[in-house]
Amino acid sequence: MDLNPCMKHQLIRKTVREFAENEIRPRAAEMDKGPGFPDDLMEKMKPLHYFGLQVPGHLGGADLDTVSYAIVVEEISRVSAALGLCITVHNSVGIYPILRFGTREQKQQFVPPMAAGESIGAFCLTEANAGSDAGGVETVARETAHGFVINGTKIFVTNGGICGTILVFAVSDSDPGKPGVFIVENHTPGFSVGEIEDLCGMRANPVASLFFEDCAIPADHCLGIPGQGLKIGLTALDTGRIGIAAQALGIAQAAFEESVSYAQARQQFNKPISRFQTIQNYLADMAVQIDAARLLLYRAADVKDTGRPFSAEAAMAKLHCSTTARMVTDLAVQIHGGYGYSREYDVERYFRDAKVTEIYEGTSEIQRMVIARHILTRPT
Amino acid sequence: MKICVCVKHVPDTAATIKIDGETGFKDSEIKFVVNPYDEYGVEEAVKLKEKNGGEVVIVTVGKPEAAATIRSALAMGADRAILVTTDSQFLDASLTAKALKAAMEKDGLPDLIFTGKGSVDTESFQTQYRLAHSLGIPVVNEVSTLSVDGKKAVAELEVGGGDKQVIEMGLPCVIGATKGLNEPRYPKFPDIMKAKKKKIDEMTLADLGLDASAQGVTLEKLEPVPERTGAKMIEGSVEEQVTELIRILKQDEKVL
Repeated sequence: MDLNPCMKHQLIRKTVREFAENEIRPRAAEMDKGPGFPDDLMEKMKPLHYFGLQVPGHLGGADLDTVSYAIVVEEISRVSAALGLCITVHNSVGIYPILRFGTREQKQQFVPPMAAGESIGAFCLTEANAGSDAGGVETVARETAHGFVINGTKIFVTNGGICGTILVFAVSDSDPGKPGVFIVENHTPGFSVGEIEDLCGMRANPVASLFFEDCAIPADHCLGIPGQGLKIGLTALDTGRIGIAAQALGIAQAAFEESVSYAQARQQFNKPISRFQTIQNYLADMAVQIDAARLLLYRAADVKDTGRPFSAEAAMAKLHCSTTARMVTDLAVQIHGGYGYSREYDVERYFRDAKVTEIYEGTSEIQRMVIARHILTRPT
Repeated sequence: MKICVCVKHVPDTAATIKIDGETGFKDSEIKFVVNPYDEYGVEEAVKLKEKNGGEVVIVTVGKPEAAATIRSALAMGADRAILVTTDSQFLDASLTAKALKAAMEKDGLPDLIFTGKGSVDTESFQTQYRLAHSLGIPVVNEVSTLSVDGKKAVAELEVGGGDKQVIEMGLPCVIGATKGLNEPRYPKFPDIMKAKKKKIDEMTLADLGLDASAQGVTLEKLEPVPERTGAKMIEGSVEEQVTELIRILKQDEKVL
């Protein structure tokens, strides 16, 4: 694997950074007062293919490789993690399972409007009594003569307030041990969105509860074979983790850059605080963790691109990138002192945004379980 | 219609330039971009191509590293590029214009040529005029509105006081683009992927029969802008302040 980013990847990073700096950064702090993203910003992103990053060209997407995808998510998250979250969740756990497990008809029906950004994707697994333990899901899909009827409540759904195409993880009424993934559109009778959550970070993203009350969907809205839900869910999360890792890396990178410039500008005891060894140690630790995070992320993306199993690599990348985001944003606030604790400074937002990367799409504890399972079952 | 856009590879205006030696600077440490005024030219050329068909060719005179900058212009929709390589960032405008002309003649002269109104690095604002003169074709600089129709171009430029000058000329001609002409696009991801496969023809000044040492203007020395020293507050009555100001201008600063 070539560790130097190739010309194509450099050009993608440069293009996204320019867009992010010019179009998103001036509004990121205002967006954080949330919830929701400015319509005109979303409209600008649609024709540039931000909503169909890895969708094949014939379905209206940009057909990017996973390394490029990770770069896009990192760069958007570097200025607005909440918007980066919207993009990554939509592209990975929203679209990818349909591309991977959908029938030809399902792909043609659901993917083009999603790739065009006209229908935003959401993936809902978590419930009041289920999250890390997918076996605890209580949402039921009852099979009828015409299809399925879904009943249940999903919580903490990213993009919940703006979603159009929703992948719902539900168990079968006849065999609760056999979950499935169902495609529900937001105009389905019986579907409704709850209050937008009042969260610590990612405040621009309209995270919400979703209610399904006798939501009737046709039989062809079941993704894959009924009962295959766990496999689809886990595959979706594997690919989603690369996106969350990229998002966490973007937050860490942003906090690091702010810290370097602040440390050089802030004077105490008649010199910039960057001259103090303690601050230098902080900056060095941040740089090492970020570099390691980036290498783990690109490796996971590269393994996925070559078609090999990437579950362990994605878990390692997600675990390390999210830990790095928390550590780096914590040090960034520390370097900024009192100012870092003020909403006047972006590092305060980065600090709040970073924490959840250790929680969603598999907590750090779950990532360690995934990694350990691979260590203990891999032939030595 | 064949359109050539002259694009210069320049340091980002936000970059901190660190001077290296007498006439060099540490270019490996800073970000380079498409000269912002040239970007308006690329956008206008691509829009014309999208409307009427034809071909857009980027022509650059610069260091080999300029290839990365050229890819950005190709991602905006230009079809291919020609890079005339030089050893220095600083080539005088007369030699740059000669190199552009020779490269275009070799490739086949275009129907329309865009440049920026100037480059943000050396700001000599001459290349477009020298190029047009050597080709014996019309040139208009600082164009903020343009229409091209068959054999003629109509260009508008601001002439101060809110007035506009409208100039009609035959093709081929040289248009110096400026802000207001259009809103340069952000490249779409599929266009970035395509840009990587587009052709960049590289050639040296010698390949075009030009001598790099035959410059009319040579750069003697680069110096950092001196840091501004602190302002002086003059206290006292009006008379005292004026007396002190005149003393400073005469004795300290020696400008009177």
